[in-house]
Amino acid sequence: MTTTGKKQRRSGRQRTGITTTHILIVAGAAILAVGLLVILNMNRSQTQPVTALTYETGLTADGEPYKGSPDAPLRIVEYSDFLCGHCADFAASLDVLGPEYIETGKVQVIFRNFAFLAPESSQAAQAAECALDQGADRFWLYHNLLFAERGTGLPAYSKPRLKTYAKQIGLDTAAFNQCLDSGAKKEEVQSDLDEGRAQGVQATPTWFLNGEVVRGALPESELRDLLQRRLLQGS
Amino acid sequence: MREARRDEIHYARFGAGWRLWSMRLLSLAGIGVSSYLTWAHLAGQSVACGQSQDCDIVQQSVYSEVAGIPVALIGLAAYIILFLLTLVRGHIPEDLEDYVPLAVFGVSLIGVLYSFYLTYLELYIIYAICRWCVTSAIIITAIFLLSLPDLKVAPSST
Repeated sequence: MTTTGKKQRRSGRQRTGITTTHILIVAGAAILAVGLLVILNMNRSQTQPVTALTYETGLTADGEPYKGSPDAPLRIVEYSDFLCGHCADFAASLDVLGPEYIETGKVQVIFRNFAFLAPESSQAAQAAECALDQGADRFWLYHNLLFAERGTGLPAYSKPRLKTYAKQIGLDTAAFNQCLDSGAKKEEVQSDLDEGRAQGVQATPTWFLNGEVVRGALPESELRDLLQRRLLQGS
Repeated sequence: MREARRDEIHYARFGAGWRLWSMRLLSLAGIGVSSYLTWAHLAGQSVACGQSQDCDIVQQSVYSEVAGIPVALIGLAAYIILFLLTLVRGHIPEDLEDYVPLAVFGVSLIGVLYSFYLTYLELYIIYAICRWCVTSAIIITAIFLLSLPDLKVAPSST
């Protein structure tokens, strides 16, 4: 057989190689796969209803909001940024453990703003402080709502949205809007940030369990184990 | 003699020299970028971003995970698969080798489409752009384009 080019040789083989059908099938499968990924990504929190608080809340001597009992053997001081995903996770873990540890007076959680991720972080922190003006319980409701609204990204922290959250939890909107628009809490949020840095906080969430630093959120089961151990140690 | 000619055909069919090497290098670069992002996500570390915090905003947004799996990890898996595909030439049965270009096409197509979706999220939903994600999008698009010339449809037999 003389060699007359590739085409001649190709027809001698049994394999069919890639066909147009193959390409179409693969392309179709790729589109389906991406569609699946997109859908899985979309099952995000629809806005959660604002549930009433079931734990004690208040203000520390330094004017920081806390939940749980001031006499609790374990105290968590948490530095968080409302834009931070892991902070939302941490808040959710704390919520799950709430009935077992916070409501029962075993753990007190004190919140401090570490608004460092973006300008929106500072604004959200200011809004939370404005809510705090109307009561520690209002602060925690606002805090919960802020984290619940993370799903839509930065638009969730626009000024108009921050104001609607206030309305949603029944704040005095005139006072709240005035507080937010005037930037009254800006300096406070900045000094919280500086103070956090002085304590060695670099990212969020960073929290202190009876003075001992923990960097990052813990999954609920690990958090529970840690709290249990500390309680048993009696420290 | 015929065996040698058959090898020639394969070489010509999947990755003429520079394209194959480019795909190899690009997938390695993709592995580098997505490993970094995966590590940063899992370790809760900040992502290098010049003076901007935008990378962190994107990395920590709810969109950075799919069913609990970091998106960066999915990208890493894809890049590893692509890199391996560019290496199999000569090591697997010839029949299978015919379909390697198709596999590269398919995996990189998924990567391209998904990257477009993620970029859309950055632009219109999250309002923050992570330069690493953009880099990966460019890499995967380049790999995809490079794979197209190899999708030679076999002429109808006999």
